[in-house]
Formats: sequence, structure tokens, C-alpha cells
Amino acid sequence: MTAQKLTPEVSGEALNQLQSLLDKARELATELKEKMPPGKTPGRDGSGMAELQERLADLESDRKQLSINLAEHEQQTSRLMNLYVATYQLHATLDPAEVQSTVAEIAVNLLGAERFALLFWTGDETECEVTLGQGLQDDPAGLFSGGKYVGGDSMIDATLADGVLRIGPVAGSTALAAVPLTVQGTTVGALAILKLFDHKPSLRPEDRELLDLLAAHAASALFAARVYSATDRKLKTLENLVNLLRKG
Amino acid sequence: MKPKKVLVVDDSKLLHKIFDLMLRNCTVVHAGDGVDGLEKLAKAENADVDLILLDMNMPRMNGLQFLAQIKADKAKAAIPVIVITTEGKEADAERGIKAGASAYLRKPFKNEELLAVIEGLSA
Repeated sequence: MTAQKLTPEVSGEALNQLQSLLDKARELATELKEKMPPGKTPGRDGSGMAELQERLADLESDRKQLSINLAEHEQQTSRLMNLYVATYQLHATLDPAEVQSTVAEIAVNLLGAERFALLFWTGDETECEVTLGQGLQDDPAGLFSGGKYVGGDSMIDATLADGVLRIGPVAGSTALAAVPLTVQGTTVGALAILKLFDHKPSLRPEDRELLDLLAAHAASALFAARVYSATDRKLKTLENLVNLLRKG
Repeated sequence: MKPKKVLVVDDSKLLHKIFDLMLRNCTVVHAGDGVDGLEKLAKAENADVDLILLDMNMPRMNGLQFLAQIKADKAKAAIPVIVITTEGKEADAERGIKAGASAYLRKPFKNEELLAVIEGLSA
């Protein structure tokens, strides 16, 4: 930096610049004062700065809270979406095989079940028929061999008896969950979740909602499909009979 | 990566419905198995498919067979593929990656997990 000789011209120009700077500072101070809340003024003690920092911290805290709320909201949306789709698919068909297939899809794709069995009481209620299952050949207890379940797992037996949804661990049971299948207050069977995929160590709290949904909808959807299927078959038989009589 | 048109190749109707909702900002093309998936991809109107979600266990043509066909086709080999594995074992996912898949997702998965994997493709 080179020193400039203080001539009247130079000092006059410096004074003008200083005046201009002071004017700008005054304008900025007025602007800042207008932006401050009533009763507060930015001072040399830093009180204005402290307030601004406080407000910034508040904003940061609000942002974090909003971020948490958004994550929770997304999780809830995801849960509701699964519940909606599960219900929709269960009631989207009147074909019993398709309803059973949907139950299996819910068990595998939404619950992460590697081994499960869909059980329905046979007529005399002494044993259950395994109408659908996956991985049952690897079941260490061997309770589902031959497509029948005659009892032996305390949790499944209790659910089949009283129609109450149970989630393990339960003494005397290797099942993870026993979901009752109930139609008009009568327990007609159960879905036994026996093992989850290795990467899913246990059932999560949100899985309970899906199990509740299966308990409420699976049996009625399957029952409606079976009734429709039987009625449709009878109707077709009658129609064929009528056609034969007309021809004769 | 923000895909605009996604081909979902899966034999589960339930998952197709879920993908429809998860990917509501994209056009979703549905295929029930590998054979159906190849047919859908061959159509001119699906030339702009920019992501494939592929189930590994399907009837007729499974995920690996579908992947082999895609990767052998120069016009389609560059489309990123996310394989969806049902198995608890990693083997399926590893086989998919070795066959040319860009990423994998294990069932059951959450909305945010799918979106994170898709985001990860651009990283």
C-alpha cells in the first residue's frame, strides 16, 4: 500500500466517501431497526445478534422436527398402503384359489414369512386341513405332514379353540404367530406363521396391523369366494339340465 | 435417478398394486413373468422404459433368465435392473448382481427402502 499525500483534493474526496459511508450505515441501521421486533434494538452489547441466533436455532429445531414428522408420516403412509392393498386384493376376486394365493402373497411379501400354513377345520373339527403352505417340508416339528394338522403346537391350538390372535414366543410353541380365521364369530381355521426370512429377525409392531387385517378379512373373503364358487357350479349344472330338458 | 417409466416383472398381483402406489409419479408397465416382460419391452411404446423391477422367482421365465435376455440385447442392456428377492438367503441377490442387475431389494421392503435403492442408482 502506498501512502498518498494529503492534499485538499484528496482530503475532500475522503470526506465525501466518509460521508457516503455514514449515510449508508444510517440507512442500514434504520432498516435493521424496522426489522427488529418492537422494544428490541440491535446494540453494541450484541443483544440483537443473540436474538437472531436464538431465532435461527428455533428454525433449525423446527426443521429437525418437521423432518422427523415427515419420516413418521412416510412410514405411516407405507403401512396404510400395505393394509389398503392387502384388503383390496383379498376382496378383488371370487375365486377361492386366488384368495388363498393372496393370503400367501401377504404372508411372503408383506410379512416376510418363509414358512407358514393356512389351516381350516375339517367337518368334524378333529383336525385341520392344510389348504396352503410354504416351506412345511422343513418344519422341524413335523406337525403339518400329509396335508393335515392334528394339533401339537400350543399357540396354534389355543387360537383354533378361542379365535384369539397370538404372537409368540409362547411356551410349547415354535410358531411366531397364530392368526384366527373367523366367519361370523366362528373360528374356521388359522394362519400359522412359523418362520420369517433370515434377514427379518422378528415381527415388527406394524406387522400386528397386517395380522389383524388377515384375521378380519381373509376368512370372510375365502368364505364368500367358496360360497360363490359352489353357487356358480350349481347354477351351471341347473342351466345344463334345463337346456337338456328343452332339447328333449 | 428419477425414473419416468418403470417395468415391473413380478407374478404377484399384490406387489404390482403396491408398486403402482409407490411409484405413482412414474408410468408403471406391468408384466406377470419374464416372457411377458420381454414382450412388453419389445413394444415400441415401451422403448422409453428407464428402470426394471424384477422378481427372481417366477413361473415360465425366472428373473435370472430374463436378465440374461436383457443383457444380451444391446438396445436394452443399459436399462438398470433392481432384482427383488424372496429368499432369505443372499444367494439370489448375488446371482442377480453377477448377471448384471444394478441393485437388489429384499422382501418385505418399505416404500422408503425402494426409493433409497432407486436414488442409489444415480450415486
